[in-house]
Amino acid sequence: MRAAQALPPRGRLREAALRQSYAFALVLLVAAAAANYALQPNFFNPAVLGGNLMTYLPLLLLAAGQTVVVIGGGIDLSLGAILSLSNVIIVSALGESPGAAQILLAVGAGLLAGALAGAVNGACVAYLRFQPIVTTFATSFVFSGLALYVMPSPGGSVPQGLLSAYGADPLGLPLVFWAAVLVLLAWGLLRSTRYGVYLYATGGDQLSAFVSGVPVSPVRLASYCIAGLMAALAGLAMALSTSTGDPLIGEPLTLSSIVAVVIGGTRLSGGQGGVFGTILGVVVLGLFQSIVSFMGVPSWWQTLINGLIVVVALAGPGLLGLLHRGRRP
Amino acid sequence: MPGEVSLSARHLAKRYGGVVALADGNLEVSSGEVVALMGANGSGKSTLGKIITGAVVPDSGTLLLDGEEVRFSSPHAARRAGIAAVYQELSLIPDMTVAENVWLAHEPLSRGLVKRRERRERTARLLELFRGVVGPSLGPDALVSRLSPGERQIVEILKALSAEPRLMILDEATASLDGEQVARLFELVGGWKAQGRAVVFVSHRMEEIFRIADRAVVLRSGRTVGEAETSRTTEQELISLMIEGGVTKRHIEHPPGPAGGRKILLRAEDLRAPGVRGVSLELARGEILGLGGLQGQGQPELLRALFGALPRSGRLLLGGREVRLSHPRQAMREGMAFVPGDRGREGLLRVRSILENLMLPSWRRYGRLLDLKRARRDAERIAGELRIVMGSLDDPVDTLSGGNAQKVVLGKWLLRAPQILLLDDPTKGVDVGAKGELYAMLGDLRKEGVAILLYSSDDEELLGLCDRVLVMREGRVRRELKSPELTRSALVKASVGTEDGG
Amino acid sequence: MKRPRVDPVLIALLLAAGLFALGSLLQPGFGSYDQAMNILRLAAFLGIVAAGQTLVIISGGEGIDLSVGAVVTLGAILVFRLGTGEAGGALLALAIALGVGLLIGAANGLGITLLKIPPLVMTLGMAGVVQGLILVVTRGELRGETPDLLAGLVSGSLAFGIPGVVLVWAALGLLMWLLLWRTPYGRQLFAVGANRTTARLSGVRVPAVVVATYALSGMLAALGGAILLGYTRQVFLNLGDPYTLPSVAAVVVGGTLLAGGVGSYAGTMAGALVLTLLTSLLTALDLPESARQIVYGLTLLALLSLYGRQRALRE
Repeated sequence: MRAAQALPPRGRLREAALRQSYAFALVLLVAAAAANYALQPNFFNPAVLGGNLMTYLPLLLLAAGQTVVVIGGGIDLSLGAILSLSNVIIVSALGESPGAAQILLAVGAGLLAGALAGAVNGACVAYLRFQPIVTTFATSFVFSGLALYVMPSPGGSVPQGLLSAYGADPLGLPLVFWAAVLVLLAWGLLRSTRYGVYLYATGGDQLSAFVSGVPVSPVRLASYCIAGLMAALAGLAMALSTSTGDPLIGEPLTLSSIVAVVIGGTRLSGGQGGVFGTILGVVVLGLFQSIVSFMGVPSWWQTLINGLIVVVALAGPGLLGLLHRGRRP
Repeated sequence: MPGEVSLSARHLAKRYGGVVALADGNLEVSSGEVVALMGANGSGKSTLGKIITGAVVPDSGTLLLDGEEVRFSSPHAARRAGIAAVYQELSLIPDMTVAENVWLAHEPLSRGLVKRRERRERTARLLELFRGVVGPSLGPDALVSRLSPGERQIVEILKALSAEPRLMILDEATASLDGEQVARLFELVGGWKAQGRAVVFVSHRMEEIFRIADRAVVLRSGRTVGEAETSRTTEQELISLMIEGGVTKRHIEHPPGPAGGRKILLRAEDLRAPGVRGVSLELARGEILGLGGLQGQGQPELLRALFGALPRSGRLLLGGREVRLSHPRQAMREGMAFVPGDRGREGLLRVRSILENLMLPSWRRYGRLLDLKRARRDAERIAGELRIVMGSLDDPVDTLSGGNAQKVVLGKWLLRAPQILLLDDPTKGVDVGAKGELYAMLGDLRKEGVAILLYSSDDEELLGLCDRVLVMREGRVRRELKSPELTRSALVKASVGTEDGG
Repeated sequence: MKRPRVDPVLIALLLAAGLFALGSLLQPGFGSYDQAMNILRLAAFLGIVAAGQTLVIISGGEGIDLSVGAVVTLGAILVFRLGTGEAGGALLALAIALGVGLLIGAANGLGITLLKIPPLVMTLGMAGVVQGLILVVTRGELRGETPDLLAGLVSGSLAFGIPGVVLVWAALGLLMWLLLWRTPYGRQLFAVGANRTTARLSGVRVPAVVVATYALSGMLAALGGAILLGYTRQVFLNLGDPYTLPSVAAVVVGGTLLAGGVGSYAGTMAGALVLTLLTSLLTALDLPESARQIVYGLTLLALLSLYGRQRALRE
């Protein structure tokens, strides 16, 4: 936490809290969890919680990758397609009754595909200097097409052993929880490397970073590769979650990943924010959806309310920034 | 720790298009020396400094570092050779902390991971150098975006220091610092001298130069014209090296007094805005009032505040009537016009056609369904009057040369026959021929009774055009110069700040 | 900024012609008049939806409108529900749909200018809200009728076998041309996209122009929905979705710079034609869905390399 030493202790804490980009998401999370608990008293029961959280895992992984790209100043609209691509590659490569080696190979193939896809995106944006939005939109077609080529229609299966591993509760906490912890640890590690500093610098002010000696193009390329890899992991999670392969499964998740990133407090312009906020954003999105369904709101109102919540959440960081700027002398 | 160092710049030259920024720049500096690089506006001193530190590539000339010829492709390359620069335009990342910025791209690492604690400690140690002259909020973990300009400048200095350079260049680095901070910086400079480092100090603040520099190298019109040891020369001698002797040529003749007496069109009282700290002035019909002084003293901000483009407080009266202008559109309606300094970024729509640029403020005068024929006629008329050299009105405006492009910026306002014309350095980057034409135009406008408020970074131009000059310093008007004081030396003296009690 | 040295509209038209020729070579029957009319009809839908997108992208500031698909659907549903068979009722329903589209677009514009929410995110969020609105209005039941006026206009052939919707598209093209080149708003729009600072310093009220632009985009999307209804004569919940991102692609292929300030609707029309031809060609060649998508994506990338590139840092 970064403290401004000039203020008295309580003011300092509030100042630091406000400055954390995920402050808003945290508030939303607490509100959402409370509401969920009020509506569904067994919400915090581990089995129920685990079941809920499990559905968030693919989006969590995807949004984490999106966060990296966004911090570096870019955006990736093809992550959902990469998720689908790795999903079908893994399921296809698993085949009927795979042994341990084949499983590893299948997963490896999927992850490699994700990294390569990310590299294609990164090369276009960082070296060919294409505009990120339309470029990743175009590549999403290429990756979707490849996914359809590998598996024209949903099918395949995942061995039972893997599925039960996915649903396990090591140390009494759902696997998802551990996955989130792992992601955070990995992110913390990344942030502590020189690459992490370069990433924030590149997103914060590309020109100043360049002038200061930061290798801007390789940094951006790497951010897209990381996102591709995370999308591939999300594809694996999806395979374990749905126990089949589906070439179009990732589509709707792309835009949700962007929403989660923004709710979590990371600005689309880059240079600040972090994966922790994004994880909060993912959970908030999921919780609000279950609130709405539990409130007994007629089903035809649910989508609207979800949509409004998203817009309010998106406006939140902006409003907060406005308030904060207004407060400064 | 730095050892011996010597730098020799010989006959460096650089031109940007038709404008010569540096014609023959020479400079020698070695260990333990502080050399001041001086010159008036447009003398080339900044360009020389930027060549030495790798931010600009020279067209010709040689740079010798420790006796060997070098050519720097980037500031980073110069830094690795042991030369670090501190400029006024900063290279800091706003959303990152002081520590992160100071050590950017050369962080202390351990097995690939940034050693955060060590980075913070090293930063704290560097910050110690400025303890007592900065607020407590300047810590290693403070966000740069929250720092004052002076604090940011200090971070930029620390960033240069962290590379342990053998030669430091401080280019107007004291501009945002307050008195105490400058004093501390100079103490540090003394320490660097003792360590055997070399310092080049680009500035025009006389008192600082005499305090800190061993030698002063003077540039004028892009050439090194003289050098002196500070202990053996005076301020007056240096000033006379900086300016050409002789009488300034008048670009416009002015009659002894405007016919029919002086009619005040614009009056400002205690105007305050970002960069403007309480300015009062009067602008009369048929008068050219100049804003002079060093760059960055608030002149462009004053013009903008008057035009409604910057939020301001204080009173503004047009024709005796108080107005509140919160948007340029309102100022336009009152008959004002503003030609901005950076025409590429603020005066023109580069990708659009000449016609569109000329018509931009005036489209509404051509009806709901635009009468393009009439618009073209008017545009051609003004282009002819201004003698704009162009292919056709539909050519993109960025195909024009600097001078012609500036005429377009002027033309779009002249089409509206403004009563008050504000100009921010209008002949920057304009060739000599077009400059002459613009001067003549201003003379004609003046005769027609237009009130003109002009800022120029070219002292000669200012003195040659204006009836009066208000010399600004740090957001305030320091002196008003009227004939017979409209001389170069009076202007430089008023700008550079050795006031006789002033 | 690198600008294409040859007129991009020309390139797009040549490309369209080339694709058409390629199609008629590879597939008998592709080059027929009927097929051409059919392609024009399909392109018209995309082109009409992309009209608002064109304005938004020209306005610069990373302008983009990802809510067009949802507004298309909403517009269609409103007309479907509110329109009665007679002409008067149909026009009233259309007016309401356009009004709603206008308000939604204005909300986008306000969020972008006042709350400084990036356009990508704002319009994305709004799309979700509109989808929710759709469900509330319909409660999942899609009852209603297509006004005859609309159906006749759109589906009927008015002359030479040219589908009515193509003529509507042409009329829209003319209106857009007038709007962009012959009104103060249009010229100010280009200025706002080219350089917001210069525009402001020349008296343009930039936020007003931006809000008006997004409002127009919403209105035009609703119009697109009504017209689409006239063709399909039924509505479904994601009627407009397939048009959102392709509308952006059509604008870019037509030579309008994503950075704003340069472009035309003629280019978008050509771009819509190219994209529709590409899709039709790939369908006619009976390629599997996978190959179709890959070719589509690669073609877009190739076009981007022509005029989608940004400034290098060194400059």
